Amino acid sequence: MTAQLTLDELAALMKSAAGLTVDPKDLANRADSTFAEFGLDSLGLLGIVGELENRRGRPMPTDAERCKTPRDFLALVNTPGKAPLEADKVPTTGA
Amino acid sequence: MSSAKERRSVVTGMGVIAPNGVSIDAFWKATKEGISVLDRVTREGCEHLPLKVAGEVRGFDPADLIEERYLVQTDRFTHFAMAAANLALDDAHLGRADYADSPFAVGVVTAAGSGGGEFGQRELQRLWGQGSKYVGPYQSIAWFYAASTGQISIRGGFKGPCGVVASDEAGGLDALAHACRTVRRGTDAVVVGAAEAPLAPYSVVCQLGYDDLSTLDDPVRAYRPFTDGACGFVPAEGGAMLVVEEATAAEGRGAPVRAELSGHAATFTGASRWEESRAGLAHAIRGALEDARCAPDEIDVVFADALGVPSADRAEALALADALGRQATQVPVTAPKTGTGRAYCGAPVLDIAAAVLAMEHGVVPPTPNVVDVCHDLDVVTGRARPAELRTALVLSRGLMGSNAAMVLRQGRPSPS
Repeated sequence: MTAQLTLDELAALMKSAAGLTVDPKDLANRADSTFAEFGLDSLGLLGIVGELENRRGRPMPTDAERCKTPRDFLALVNTPGKAPLEADKVPTTGA
Repeated sequence: MSSAKERRSVVTGMGVIAPNGVSIDAFWKATKEGISVLDRVTREGCEHLPLKVAGEVRGFDPADLIEERYLVQTDRFTHFAMAAANLALDDAHLGRADYADSPFAVGVVTAAGSGGGEFGQRELQRLWGQGSKYVGPYQSIAWFYAASTGQISIRGGFKGPCGVVASDEAGGLDALAHACRTVRRGTDAVVVGAAEAPLAPYSVVCQLGYDDLSTLDDPVRAYRPFTDGACGFVPAEGGAMLVVEEATAAEGRGAPVRAELSGHAATFTGASRWEESRAGLAHAIRGALEDARCAPDEIDVVFADALGVPSADRAEALALADALGRQATQVPVTAPKTGTGRAYCGAPVLDIAAAVLAMEHGVVPPTPNVVDVCHDLDVVTGRARPAELRTALVLSRGLMGSNAAMVLRQGRPSPS
């Protein structure tokens, strides 16, 4: 999957994973503000990373959950070539 | 507590989320009128379990009071605690402006009996159903006993001493005592109390192992302590939070003093050893009286633990006789929790709230569903009894063996 994460999708994830109502336009206008300023804590970002990994069926780049701003996060998760090798894929566990 | 006269602890605000009301006004109206809200368990996934009757909090939407970002990362027991804390702070007129310059002057203490069972069950079902990648990160904090203290502290910006008391059901009173010690050591205000949410499938199954749980299916007969029909207790969800302040700090900002927390003591006598709880509870009562410098005949009302197990009821009646002497048969005894069920650690804090309201209104609320008391106690049944109440004694015991007693004194009306 090569789908690029958009600000709209990030806003939707902030809502579903962390209960935050954020306008995607606001994310665009303040893309260098910290996640903390949008009310997203580190566990919330970790939840978003986990959700993206489940959707895409592969791990996000290392340190994705350490990104401080929406711009940094999108840049990292949308960078081609950063996707891990086949061997590093998330193992399918459970049902 | 009164041993350090210079720093007394007073109650300036109360917030209640109870099966019989999600505000102080609704709670007191139902409590005073002796309305029982015990009813069939209706929570999803619990209908087929042997526990048939409980005290459910219905008609409560946490989103009315708490932001979604906090609700997403917390269990129902923390929703109750945050909402009750919100109500207590409003009641105390303690807002951010009051402590913005001194956030370390306000602490938080809660007691918890089981943590976030419903949240934990959901995440564990994801773990075994879908895999570890589907467990949300908030599982790491939501089911902890400490979750409510942490979230109330974060949400309110309270940076003073925080704590969690995990000492069984009586921990509700122990948390209040811990808040008093915190005040004595120099903190001006503590947001303190307990709320529980034990009515989700996993949590209910955990309780089915308790011999003392009533599994009767008739809400009128399921929980009748101090009677020949006593057949165990009915669990409940909910609880109460208080704002406890140092007396001169409260007076300094013009906050009305609703009551003084005057004395407390706790003992431990072992799980389900109800006969031994007689000596333990009596010792706790004597300790609380001594701490409050209060004579037995000064006690105007007793809010009993009222477990509803014959041997436990007998032990409580004897403990009162041991500790209060003649006064034990003369003082009005009540147990409003027979109308709501026992919300574990939340139960004694709800009793504290009821005791404060009883002293304010000069009336002892009745003990719903209880008639024909078979112990030598003056249990108030049927309807509320008017009485001048200056001092109240609240008792609590836990299934794991904790016993606690707390003495409250009437507050003074606001100078305004």
